[in-house]
Amino acid sequence: MADGYAGKYLRVDLTKEKFTILPTPEEWKRKYLGGVGMGAKIMWDEVPPEVKPLSPQNRIIFATGPVNGTLFPPSGRYEVISRSPLTGWWAHASAGGFFGPEMKYAGYDLIIIQGKAKKPVYLHIDNDLIELKSARHLWGKNVIETTDRIMEDLKDPDVKVAAIGQAGENLVRYSCIMSDYFRAAGRTGLGAVLGSKNLKAIAIRGTKGIKIANKEKFNKLLEDAFRRHSPEGRYWEYIESFRKYGTFSLTDWENAIGRLPTKNHWTGYFENAEETIGMEPMRKRHYKRHASCFGCGIQCKYSSVVKEGKYAGTESEGPEYETVEGFTSNFLSTDTSALIRANYLCNIYGMDTISVSHSISWAYESYEHGLLTKEDTDGRELIWGEDGMDDVIELLEEIPFRKTKFASLLAEGSREAARRTGKGSEAYAIHVNGLEASGQDGRPHKSLGLTYAINVRGADHLTSLSSLDELGYKEEIKRRYKKETVNILADRWDEKLKGYLVADMEELYALCDSALLCKYGVMWPPIYYHQDFGKIISAITGFTEYEDPKNLSKLAKRICHLRRCFNVRLGWSKKNDALHPRFTEEPMPTGPAKGQVVHLEPMLREYYQVRKYDWKTGYPTKKELEEVGLEDVAKELKKRKKLVPVYRGKKAFQIRK
Amino acid sequence: MKILNIDAEKCSGCRLCELACAFTKEKRIIPILGRVNVFQNYAWGLSVPVVCTQCEEAPCIKVCPTEALYRDPETNVVKVKEEKCIGCKLCVSACPYGAVVFIPEKKTVIKCDLCDGDPVCVKFCPTGALKYEEPVKATLSKRREQAEKIWEVL
Repeated sequence: MADGYAGKYLRVDLTKEKFTILPTPEEWKRKYLGGVGMGAKIMWDEVPPEVKPLSPQNRIIFATGPVNGTLFPPSGRYEVISRSPLTGWWAHASAGGFFGPEMKYAGYDLIIIQGKAKKPVYLHIDNDLIELKSARHLWGKNVIETTDRIMEDLKDPDVKVAAIGQAGENLVRYSCIMSDYFRAAGRTGLGAVLGSKNLKAIAIRGTKGIKIANKEKFNKLLEDAFRRHSPEGRYWEYIESFRKYGTFSLTDWENAIGRLPTKNHWTGYFENAEETIGMEPMRKRHYKRHASCFGCGIQCKYSSVVKEGKYAGTESEGPEYETVEGFTSNFLSTDTSALIRANYLCNIYGMDTISVSHSISWAYESYEHGLLTKEDTDGRELIWGEDGMDDVIELLEEIPFRKTKFASLLAEGSREAARRTGKGSEAYAIHVNGLEASGQDGRPHKSLGLTYAINVRGADHLTSLSSLDELGYKEEIKRRYKKETVNILADRWDEKLKGYLVADMEELYALCDSALLCKYGVMWPPIYYHQDFGKIISAITGFTEYEDPKNLSKLAKRICHLRRCFNVRLGWSKKNDALHPRFTEEPMPTGPAKGQVVHLEPMLREYYQVRKYDWKTGYPTKKELEEVGLEDVAKELKKRKKLVPVYRGKKAFQIRK
Repeated sequence: MKILNIDAEKCSGCRLCELACAFTKEKRIIPILGRVNVFQNYAWGLSVPVVCTQCEEAPCIKVCPTEALYRDPETNVVKVKEEKCIGCKLCVSACPYGAVVFIPEKKTVIKCDLCDGDPVCVKFCPTGALKYEEPVKATLSKRREQAEKIWEVL
């Protein structure tokens, strides 16, 4: 029996109103670790391609991992895994806060939800007590009202609540799951999956504990981890900045390299951003209070308030960097009060700030080019800049309720909105495989172009972004990679070797999302690397085999392959490993990266070499799948003619030392 | 003599102190076994660590029928002799703020003993909300911070 786990998992069948509690299988722990790894295993086994994302047969899995809820920082996250109603592909999203550790303290590694309740319900778990309670009085309420009311109903102010807002109820395709009021499992529209199942919330309370396999080793690793999060560590400067400003210190750093998406990703440079929407003005104008997720050594959380003007009194946790970009530079606006208001509305209605801001900016750019007119926009003139923000705020009040035809169109996400509108408006729907591009751009940061293109959940940064070339962590590159590769890897405009780098990051983040740490420990700043995961997994679970880099790499590859195979079974192929033409054909018009475009092919070739995908079809290879222990997966893909027997391409170059 | 000085305004609510305490004292990761617990109001973003403040006139010592609770004469810390504790829970009732907890599986009460002068919660606190310092110094540093705020306005 492995330590570090809660030991059991809960399956809730909402149709049958049935609960099943079973021991978490040892095979799941050892082969898939937890989080997205276990999620991938369950999705592959239980959700065949004919199951539509919003059908009762789809699963939605709340998953923790072995590191979750332990003292090892930052271990407060949980993952939610499903099939996305926004993209149609694999979906995962994670949130910080306190909900994940509480799941483990209540005794559950996973909560698997299936079926559909006849009437709105919420799930209440208090250690061994599990019950479905009516949510009729909660339906139609926002996230804050819902959370408050559940605490009142249960007479428990310490219960941890994950809930959907009205956006999830009304199946807005990018609605999210909000826990502890303000922490979002944001991307890929998982709120709509809960909405489709009539499940308004999960309220959980636990007082059990977690056993550590090797306490002595764990203690040593703890000391080292906390030293790395202290002024003695290499990245204190970044940690201090996140602690003081929150993640929006990234706004300044990104603009400096011409990678701050501006005007619907038209460019990557927003003039004077540092003085208008940067970290100093944001802190001065809106900073209210410092906060933290569970067990964190970085502590980037804080709350913001609008002190004057028409939105005075608006207060909410955040905004995060992505939201700052989405509701300021994305609309050419410097109105930070409107930004705080927008962030607040997205939080209470439960919408992904990235997808909603970029779906609205699709409409703004389409309007600019005459593809949408006042007739389509309920009489609105959609104009860029501060003066256009009133309409953005209004739309954020309408989209969650699908109040008008236009709001309902935007609620479908930019890809579908553009498809229905036609007339070439697809050119302004900046998404990859259905997911709106987040606050990055591949033109000034080439490896990011590949990150978007090969990402199993579409255009987002959290599955394989390399911060090493992005922010010039050259010393870290020297520590990790071969001497002759250092200068090329550190050059963010050079496509060479970036395919190998992105594959390495994808594997690292697969471990991070399965052991379950926050991405801020491996990305901004890059505190942990593969061997750190090997050691901590071994100390907590007793799986000592993962201290061997070969086994660890196999585990990471297994998770990456399985997620991709889930997509391949759904119809994913080479043509999906592509980018929006804005990044490949429109040279960056302004800023420090002026003139740059992404040349995807060389990076994609390298990436395919590592994964041993067939260059023509993008399908995986039998031998590779078998090597990482996915024999059954290979068999099924073979039946479906989506497997290549032998890899005939070049051998991948090893960049790692 | 030093005291555990709590500056609630600095507490970010990360709960590292709870876990560090539980792991050090009980070798397990169970937040409720922490002698310190952080209470949060997520909606307001407020957090406060609650822990024994080592009362000078300690009600827990007064009500203990077996002298399991006693004051260490050297450090002034109120401690539990577990082997003497009969699990009557009178101290739990007497403590005005819940700092003494009865643990059913141990059949004894637990409370903060300041780790014999080197409190682990302080070591793990990333924000300085928990400090171990001389009481007068603690008060003065708080006053200084107040003064700094006034300077900002001036």
